[in-house]
Amino acid sequence: MTVKPSFNWLRLRRLWRPAPVRRHYDVVIIGGGIHGLATAYYLARTHGIRDVALLESHYIGFGGSGRNTAIVRANQRTAENVRLYDEGLKLWRTLTDELDFNLMFFNCGTLNLGHSEAAVNAFRMAASTHNHLGVKSELLDPQQCAELIPGLDISDRLAFPIHAGLYHPPGGVVRHDAVVWGLAKGAAAHGVHIHQGCEVQGIDTDGSRVTGVRTSLGTIRCNRLGIMAGGYGAAVAAMLGIELPIHPLTIQAMVTHPLKPFLHHVFSSGAYHVYANQTLKGEIATGAHMDPQVNYTNDATAYYLKHQAEALVELMPALRGVRFMRIWAGLADMTPDMAPIMEGHLGYDHLYLDAGWGYFGFKSGPVAGKYMADYMATGERPEMLKAFQLKRFLEGRYSGETAAVMKYGHWD
Amino acid sequence: MTFRLTCPVCGKRDVYEFTFGGQERGPRPEQDELSAEEHFRWTQFRMIPCGAQAPPQEEWWYHAQGCGVWFTTRRDPGTNLEVVGDGDE
Repeated sequence: MTVKPSFNWLRLRRLWRPAPVRRHYDVVIIGGGIHGLATAYYLARTHGIRDVALLESHYIGFGGSGRNTAIVRANQRTAENVRLYDEGLKLWRTLTDELDFNLMFFNCGTLNLGHSEAAVNAFRMAASTHNHLGVKSELLDPQQCAELIPGLDISDRLAFPIHAGLYHPPGGVVRHDAVVWGLAKGAAAHGVHIHQGCEVQGIDTDGSRVTGVRTSLGTIRCNRLGIMAGGYGAAVAAMLGIELPIHPLTIQAMVTHPLKPFLHHVFSSGAYHVYANQTLKGEIATGAHMDPQVNYTNDATAYYLKHQAEALVELMPALRGVRFMRIWAGLADMTPDMAPIMEGHLGYDHLYLDAGWGYFGFKSGPVAGKYMADYMATGERPEMLKAFQLKRFLEGRYSGETAAVMKYGHWD
Repeated sequence: MTFRLTCPVCGKRDVYEFTFGGQERGPRPEQDELSAEEHFRWTQFRMIPCGAQAPPQEEWWYHAQGCGVWFTTRRDPGTNLEVVGDGDE
């Protein structure tokens, strides 16, 4: 009896193949990140709209999709946001199955640390909202926090001692590259054309509707256009002269050298500007502040490397002496109320915008794509997206997300 | 990669000495008869193009950890660098 090898390196096959650029598509999506890929995937899978092109100026996952710290959770502040992110959190399991691709969802739970009375009150209110909506979330005392996160300093030695924690068991970590590859595989299998290295240089209109996009691979005409370019969304909208309440800012992240597994949950602290988790390789992946000035670069700086080391060592003194191996940066497109903009028929018929996700763009990717696909396929705004219209900023009806417990900088 | 800005008093200094004050928007509109929509457009809505054709952005900075002066400069959001006259830094 011969034993078949379960995995044959010689039979490795591409997940998806490049397609020739056609001059016309029903739907063109600008941005080959998770949001654009998910929208294309759901357009083809759910709505049978397969005449779709996805344009990516670099390579898929070049932007925020491959630069985030991979944390997923649903403990937002307001009901409309919690509902959306909760559905998004539940999608990882079904997507893993549906795409037949291991997204490596590690359901380890997240712990937010509070360092003041005000933070504890914010935790109580947030936990009430979460529990009311059926999302698991509970308040922990410092001792319980230390049991979850070994090495956490809960003494009053800290400049801002830990008062309480907000534990959110449904959260965790997802391998962000796998999401990009899995969605690309799924979208391409349903007939979506993915064009990498295709830079959008301009957008053509006839005054009332978008007629096509000018790209480095020639002009591509379309009936419907989706701008899902993550941090670059504001720059793409500027090609049409559209002003948005969006500030693109760089946010930096870094990893230490690998350590034996000891950190079994994601933890974060608003006061110290730290969120950290241990990757499957053993590195501590940790993220930091945003640079204050609007820009479209991916520049990392030594300034935040130093800050991050100080903050991590303050909270977890045992990490002293551990070295950072890599630092990188990505873009966060910040809105004034920390909630996204999902809009259709924006100035032109069948022009759709999915932007302003700030640093929440990764965890929301698949669910945003699902609803944007509904919106683009029908032209009608789905009920779920009513809270995320652009006009809320012109009517002074900001979302209450700024009261969330994860406060990182002066933008929140 | 960090970069430097030119303070009119202190000269070129590291960007982390400064506080970003946002895009120059011209004078604040008169409050009398200002609609909510016009108010929010002026305070929050921006156009921030990117690319070779995009003009540098005129913006405000505050030398918080230096001499304390507010000033405007022109910077390219695509490269982060200050644009002085015709050439770069």
